[in-house]
Amino acid sequence: MTYNPAPISTGVLLGTDLSQMSPRRKTWRAFVRNPLGLSSLIVLILMVLLALAAPLIVEEPSGFSVAVLEPPSPEHWFGTDHIGQDIFAQIVWGARTSVAVAVGASVLAILLGTVVGVAAAYFPKLNTPLGMLIDVMLSLPILPLMILIAALVGPSISTLVVVIAVFSWPEVARVVRSQALPTVTLTYVNASHVIGASNLWVLTRHILPAVTPVVVVSVVLTASKAVLSEAGLSFLGLGDPNSWSWGTILYNAQRSGVLASAWWTALFPSLAILLFVVAATLCSLAYNDARNPRIRGD
Amino acid sequence: MENSTARKHLARLAVPLALMLALAGCVPSDPDTQDTGEANDDGGNQLVVGTTAGVVNFNPLVGNSRTDTWVTNLMYPSMMTLNDEAEKVPSVATEWGYSEDGLTAFVELRDDMEWTDGEPLNAEDVIFTINAIKEEQIGTVAGMLAAYESAEAVSDTRIEFTLSRPDGAFLNSVGFWMPIVPEHVFGEAPSVAEFANDSDWVSAGPFVLTEVEDGQRYVLEATENYPLVESGSANVDEVIFRVFPDVNTEVLALRAGDLDMIGNALPPAVAEDLAGDDSVQLFTVPSLGWAHMQYNMRRAPLDQVEVREALAHAVDYDAIREVVLGGNAISSNSSVLTPVYEQWQDGLDLEEYAYDPEMSRQLLEDAGFADADGDDVYDELSFEMVYDQGDPMVSTWAELVQDQSLDAGINIELVGLDRNTYLARTADRDFDIYAGSWAIIDEPQSNFALLFSPEGFINYAGVDDPEVSELMEEAATALTPEVAQEPLQEIARIVHDQVYDNVMYVETFNFAASSEWSGFVPKPSDLLSIVNAESLANVSKE
Repeated sequence: MTYNPAPISTGVLLGTDLSQMSPRRKTWRAFVRNPLGLSSLIVLILMVLLALAAPLIVEEPSGFSVAVLEPPSPEHWFGTDHIGQDIFAQIVWGARTSVAVAVGASVLAILLGTVVGVAAAYFPKLNTPLGMLIDVMLSLPILPLMILIAALVGPSISTLVVVIAVFSWPEVARVVRSQALPTVTLTYVNASHVIGASNLWVLTRHILPAVTPVVVVSVVLTASKAVLSEAGLSFLGLGDPNSWSWGTILYNAQRSGVLASAWWTALFPSLAILLFVVAATLCSLAYNDARNPRIRGD
Repeated sequence: MENSTARKHLARLAVPLALMLALAGCVPSDPDTQDTGEANDDGGNQLVVGTTAGVVNFNPLVGNSRTDTWVTNLMYPSMMTLNDEAEKVPSVATEWGYSEDGLTAFVELRDDMEWTDGEPLNAEDVIFTINAIKEEQIGTVAGMLAAYESAEAVSDTRIEFTLSRPDGAFLNSVGFWMPIVPEHVFGEAPSVAEFANDSDWVSAGPFVLTEVEDGQRYVLEATENYPLVESGSANVDEVIFRVFPDVNTEVLALRAGDLDMIGNALPPAVAEDLAGDDSVQLFTVPSLGWAHMQYNMRRAPLDQVEVREALAHAVDYDAIREVVLGGNAISSNSSVLTPVYEQWQDGLDLEEYAYDPEMSRQLLEDAGFADADGDDVYDELSFEMVYDQGDPMVSTWAELVQDQSLDAGINIELVGLDRNTYLARTADRDFDIYAGSWAIIDEPQSNFALLFSPEGFINYAGVDDPEVSELMEEAATALTPEVAQEPLQEIARIVHDQVYDNVMYVETFNFAASSEWSGFVPKPSDLLSIVNAESLANVSKE
């Protein structure tokens, strides 16, 4: 007989032996198999590239032209606004602000949120006060406070980043805390304490790795919320007047009164915001599913 | 105007889509949803006016937002009003004048005015109002009373004022700006300034407030006696002010027939769009103020006239008027005596600062500025320009000013602020360049003191020029326009040459009303426009 079953060697050759793959690779494999996850990741990457390469794509919109409120045409893909500026250029340049605010605010919020969340879970004495702080922050009316602060401090990108981060970290802290709480009581954490590991060592080697997946999801979700908040504040006239933003384009359309007569002034920036937010949400959902062994079915 | 139906459909789709998707939660609620049931109940004799703000203060002496003024002007008349040429003409007063030495003034009132509770409106009400304003220093009118000492009711209809010094603008300022309030109502309150006047209104105008839904709608009923219109009372039974989130929704409501007129001035793009619509009539009135930039001369290097000139010549004012304002503005020839007031123009030959970036660079180089780091911007020439981010015109042209100034080697950092922050910053003189507009500068004889005297309330630029101060004194005491003209024109020349105030344009406002109504009486300024008492008392449905 020449038949040789040799299932194990074939499996190894094809790289499909699940039991021998690292969890990270399993997650990645599940992620790229999800068409929604992959395409939303590609959209996000494209947006970041768009933001980085804006000066190579179009000139920064400035000044005026006589081609006022022109509908979309081959010359002006997304039409022109009330002083004749190209809306496509505004959206490309607006992506810079949106991405910058998204990255800045989410990094800041994640840092704050993770520190508070992990501290609350790890140090029993801090649990109650920090938990209360998180609850109080979560119950605050965020938008009016953001408006107030942005109005008082004066609009600029750094103000927006700080304001958005200050009001976004509690959500991260809450998720991180709830993920870290059960981890703190696990046997291997106790064992580390018994063999004399320092708090710092336990935190960085055991607790932080355990909460990393929820942090990754939070990063993306916070980034999308930051883009929404930034657009909202800019739409209310609290954006940075020295740089373009998708919210500013909408704001210009609204205050120049052309919202009803020139649909392109509102549609395209709205679509840009929608695309970013939907892509970020889907991406984090797909990642969440991909790293969950039960859902990915191994 | 091309107007394909497809475009309209798309427009209708795009707006809700845009707002819902992008900004759910950020947009103020639409009052449409709450009162559609009542809005159209007997549309026959009811005029619905759209506005974008609620009434904050029902006390006409204190309130200063536009909606406040529109509503209270319908109840508390002034002695004078404006005609088309922005001249003061009789309203409650029939004639007025000064004594030869200028130390007394008189006003003669109509004898047929009365408050809705049956009390007559007479000289005592006027004297009560002016004394209350003087004593409690209420609002802007208090600033016009520097020369006022006392008043006496010679008869029920004649008042004599005693002045501490001749003041040629006194009667016109007080006559136009001071609403007359009923002594028998406001006098009951311990403090007139703090009197809220938020119920049981008593009116001597064509309408009286009867119902208020705060921030949503304000219902005024016609009064029986308003002798200032031919018919003796208003033609419509009711005027309703309805609050909308913004001008976009107002226009949609006007087109849908839910609204009979829009109180707010229309942005140029909207006016152009509405011009092609037969169901809407448009009115154009000039502003009585101007839009301008002021350079803070307390800060170096803006204290150098060359720098201010360079800034003034760096801007293309024609382009701003044509593109940003869609042609709805006239040049004021960079003069603070704007062409709207014809009585001051004779012999005034000022020219607008020409747009010439090369000249700006030359001026700066002659003044010793250099570009050592080679970034095409003169070193140390970086300025912060503050403006109200909510002002659609100013915040749009501020961006053009920034771009154009950069061509002249001057860096301008835009600081568009929320209105309250902006007002606080300007009051503290905390800015390099200020961009904004004056709503009404109607009496240069007295207003120039606010603008250009060292202690002037709105002397944002920090003008401190003895020659100007002397000329202002001379103008203020002139009892006739003929005498006042020479010093005023000289002030305008100095302000122009020294760039104390860079007047960029005088806006012309567009207002829209449904074509179903006729009889509107447009008056200059967006404060009076077609929403003034005479106009609303006059309109009727065809």
